[in-house]
Amino acid sequence: MFRSPKSGALTVAFLCFASPALVAGPLGIGETATPEMIAGWDIDIRPDGRGLPPGEGSVADGEGLYEAKCASCHGLFGEGAGRWPILAGGEGTLDTAHPEKTVGSYWPYASTLWDYIHRAMPYPAPQSLTDDEVYAITAYVLYLNDIVEDDFVLNQETFQEVKMPNEPNFYIDDRPDVVNTRCMSQCADASTFEIVTTINGVTPTAHFKEDSGVAANHYGNEAATAEATKVALSDAAVAGKSIYAKACNVCHGAGVAGAPVTGDAAAWSERIAQGMATLNKHAIEGYVGKNGVMPAKGGNMALADEEVANAVAFMVESSQ
Amino acid sequence: MSSIRIKAKERAGVVDVKALMKHPMETGLRKDKDGNKIPPHFIQEVVAESNGAVVFSGSFNTSISKDPYLSFQYGGKKGDKLTLSWTDNQGQKDAETVDVG
Repeated sequence: MFRSPKSGALTVAFLCFASPALVAGPLGIGETATPEMIAGWDIDIRPDGRGLPPGEGSVADGEGLYEAKCASCHGLFGEGAGRWPILAGGEGTLDTAHPEKTVGSYWPYASTLWDYIHRAMPYPAPQSLTDDEVYAITAYVLYLNDIVEDDFVLNQETFQEVKMPNEPNFYIDDRPDVVNTRCMSQCADASTFEIVTTINGVTPTAHFKEDSGVAANHYGNEAATAEATKVALSDAAVAGKSIYAKACNVCHGAGVAGAPVTGDAAAWSERIAQGMATLNKHAIEGYVGKNGVMPAKGGNMALADEEVANAVAFMVESSQ
Repeated sequence: MSSIRIKAKERAGVVDVKALMKHPMETGLRKDKDGNKIPPHFIQEVVAESNGAVVFSGSFNTSISKDPYLSFQYGGKKGDKLTLSWTDNQGQKDAETVDVG
């Protein structure tokens, strides 16, 4: 329900044909969910407090409730009885050998606490607490973590004041391949898109197979490369060796994405037959062949054309 | 905020005390990421007094875990003042007083 609008119409399919409110959908089954039915499922609380029901509870109210309903497992002070979850403490341990993840040391949002207590606690009788009781116990657990003072009263308004200590350490994943900015206006026509390349075999697996002839090494076929370097190399190839190690070995060392492995004469003979000019062109501009994909300059656009050509020379001379 | 949390409940003339003291309890044997020894920092003395009379005292040392949890019983009644205090090897102290409930 997290992504569905609060007022969204939901069709609940029942296999019971005697259901009173059958609707004539495409299949003629199911019934339209009433607002009451949706409310029964829609109990999630968002980090900004959306979804919190009216009501309130104080730390003092929570103390008695906590001791009666929670402390037998979580401990009087949230220290955790036996191996039950620890709720408090553990500040500053997240980057140590034994991180202790508690409400205070780890959780980014107090809404999770309210939601979880309301949804799943107490363990033997989930959803048996009233909203006020959930507010009170949530306030008390926050107090056990020194997040609120002992006179704190939690409700829809004061929820906004609660700042969890570890929230700043959560951030949107900023790696380049997870950023997907959605086009909202004047976007390209999707029907004109054409798939120009697909990448297969990015995960090297060949070296896990027996008798595959590939060294069991994630970092490339070093044995083969080492052997290949015994061949007398031209000046260009010698110059290209370091370029190869930086830009090409990732794929051409292990045969990733269909790349011909350096030193594999059989794989290279057909390619060498096309001539150096063709190989250089493919390496510099990129190439999609029947076996796989050669990204332009191995994906390293900072390289000069000559450097790429030198690396190609190294691979060709090492693979004859 | 005090480093000590105490619960003291009387039942049939016996006060049941449970307390948690927030303290790193460093032994002095551990090393940090740079290989430097972390100086010892642990509670040495814990005293509980009820209406001025000592009802519990203990000499703690490095074998006690971080954030020590303490539980003991003594003869007493509701409404008594119970004070728990600790002193560590660096001379730091803390104390907390509660009413027995």
